[in-house]
Amino acid sequence: MTNTSTRTILRSDELSCPSCVPKIENALLALPGVEKAEVKFASGRIEVAHDPARTDVAALVNSIAKSGYTAKPSAF
Amino acid sequence: MFSRIIDILRHPVSRRKWLTIASGVLITVALVAWYGFGMAAPWAPLMTIAAVLAGYDIALRAWASLRLRQLSIELLVIVAAIGALFINNHWESAAVTFLFMLGAWLETRTMSRTRGALKALIDAAPVTATVLRDGQTIEVAAHEVALGETVLVKAGERLPVDGEVIDGSAAVNEASITGEPIPAEKAPGSKVFAGTLAENGLLHLRATGVGADTTLARIITRVEEAQEAKAPAQRMIENFGRWYTPGVFVLAIVSYIVTRNVELALTLLVVSCPGALVISTPVSVVAGIGRAARSGILIKGGEHLENAGRITALALDKTGTLTEGQPRLAEVVALAGQSEADVLLWAGIAETGSTHPLGRPIIEAARKQGPLPTAESLEEIAGMGLIARHDGHQIAVGSHRLFDHLKIDFNTEAKDGIARLHGLGHTVVIVARNSAVVGLLGLADMPRASAKPMIERLHALGVHRVVMLTGDQRPAAEAIASAVGVDEVHAAMMPDDKLDRIRTMRAEGLHVAMVGDGINDAPALAAADISIAMGASGSDIAIETADIALMTDDLGKIAEAMEIARATLANMRQNLVIAVLTVVGLLFGVYTGTIHMAGGMLVHQLSVLIVILNAMRLLRVPKATKARAAAQTGERAAA
Repeated sequence: MTNTSTRTILRSDELSCPSCVPKIENALLALPGVEKAEVKFASGRIEVAHDPARTDVAALVNSIAKSGYTAKPSAF
Repeated sequence: MFSRIIDILRHPVSRRKWLTIASGVLITVALVAWYGFGMAAPWAPLMTIAAVLAGYDIALRAWASLRLRQLSIELLVIVAAIGALFINNHWESAAVTFLFMLGAWLETRTMSRTRGALKALIDAAPVTATVLRDGQTIEVAAHEVALGETVLVKAGERLPVDGEVIDGSAAVNEASITGEPIPAEKAPGSKVFAGTLAENGLLHLRATGVGADTTLARIITRVEEAQEAKAPAQRMIENFGRWYTPGVFVLAIVSYIVTRNVELALTLLVVSCPGALVISTPVSVVAGIGRAARSGILIKGGEHLENAGRITALALDKTGTLTEGQPRLAEVVALAGQSEADVLLWAGIAETGSTHPLGRPIIEAARKQGPLPTAESLEEIAGMGLIARHDGHQIAVGSHRLFDHLKIDFNTEAKDGIARLHGLGHTVVIVARNSAVVGLLGLADMPRASAKPMIERLHALGVHRVVMLTGDQRPAAEAIASAVGVDEVHAAMMPDDKLDRIRTMRAEGLHVAMVGDGINDAPALAAADISIAMGASGSDIAIETADIALMTDDLGKIAEAMEIARATLANMRQNLVIAVLTVVGLLFGVYTGTIHMAGGMLVHQLSVLIVILNAMRLLRVPKATKARAAAQTGERAAA
């Protein structure tokens, strides 16, 4: 299971209130193949562990956009 | 058209902006109609619509938090706004929701500016890299470069990977890593870092670190972790916030029961929003850490920032920290009527056969005064020195032991000279010609030029005790200490002694920072309140383990780190005072009846903005630092 999982890091500088953190996390976790989603408020960093075959990076960005925030994938 | 509106409404940031603008426009129209034209009819409906527009988003957020079983600030506001509508106070309801939205929008904008200090670092890493594959240059994503692959970097480009130069040369600006504005010359064999800028030339690199495995990426990760790591003051406030909001509801209900004044109870809900209080410390921490990162100073979290801001004593090693870490020729003493130049020349001739580390500075100094002739014969006596023949004379150069071995005696002049040089902390090399001592060379690890100003800056900051802990002998230690202005010297120390010293200092009530190289100083570093590693750009261990990592070995950064920590701590306290005074002042105003709902919201939102703007002051580079940097650049340009 874990061997198919990759870690993707995204960034958003639109997070304005700590209450949006669980909102984004829950939206990401609802996607198929997403094992872990963590949003860091102070730095605007979003870490996702997911199976790229079931949910790719574009789908992650999409899901965050639906929660209402623009996020960009980052190499680190 | 319609789908665009949907898009705008779906995206919270733009939705909030437009809801705020619409609400503001309606309020203005109602005000103009009433005061300008005396029209009373539009007042209540317009104000109600304005309140609903602005309140809609607040209600959504209040509901989202409520589902997560949190009583949020938004809930306080929305209850107050709905309550105001019920008691027919339309203006108050519209003003409260509008001001809350306006404030939140401004806060988002300033908050992302505060985060922006790191954005420059993140943006420093290029997205693509030009690599040489099968003899062809192709462009690939920067994180897809394979280790060991050849990467090409042209003038004006940023380096996409960590690597080693294999061909070409360039002046590379490493400010993104080290905070150092002066470019470093890179030639084959040099190590280079992703995110640095090639100002000229063409470089061929062998990639040694890619993507998340670059020094830049590690720094960014560390800084972000640090910004998330909570300062103790911050944790206290969060615990406080947990019972604060429910407490406000209770207070409002009790106030209503006692005074039977609905408006007073609702105003209480509005003015007690803990906004400024909740963000007062994190916003300072994020700004302070971001500001430090831009100068090549990595502070590993709010807790370390708070600790560093309280430092009253600094302990540091001598060799390589206060000194250059390499022996230099400090003094030439000519004896028996010889000239200093000749003494150095003879010593230089003999030292060409030396493999000893003390040989190099002597040869370098001798070469500076002219060409160095080759000796006819050379013999190295291990652990003692050298014997050379040149131009028919025998030259002996070495320590005391060589001369005992050769049975050459010292006269009083030589003995006095040796004693004097030892007293200065120098290592003494004795030079003899044809079995007569003709001169002495004093070698010493010289203090760095930046050491004295750094210690003066620390003293000015209130770090009153700067303590040297060194494994070296006392005379050498004291010579350096008095040259750079160290307050206290502890010489001939073993790692355990250093540890004991730090413990003793802490027991005396001092807050101790320790600067060390992270390996043999490890126990002492761990015992100190704050550990500082220098010149960390090449070493992962230093970045990982130290509380504060300085990316260069510029001593000035120690003082700068302390200055930033102190400024941040002061900023945090100012913010707390502003936040607490606002809440107390507002509560007082509400109970004395001088503050109503709209005014209360305005003051409250202003206090939040003031707190953020105050934190943003930390992002500025102080004038003194700029002036120093300019002076340094000037000096180097002159040299």
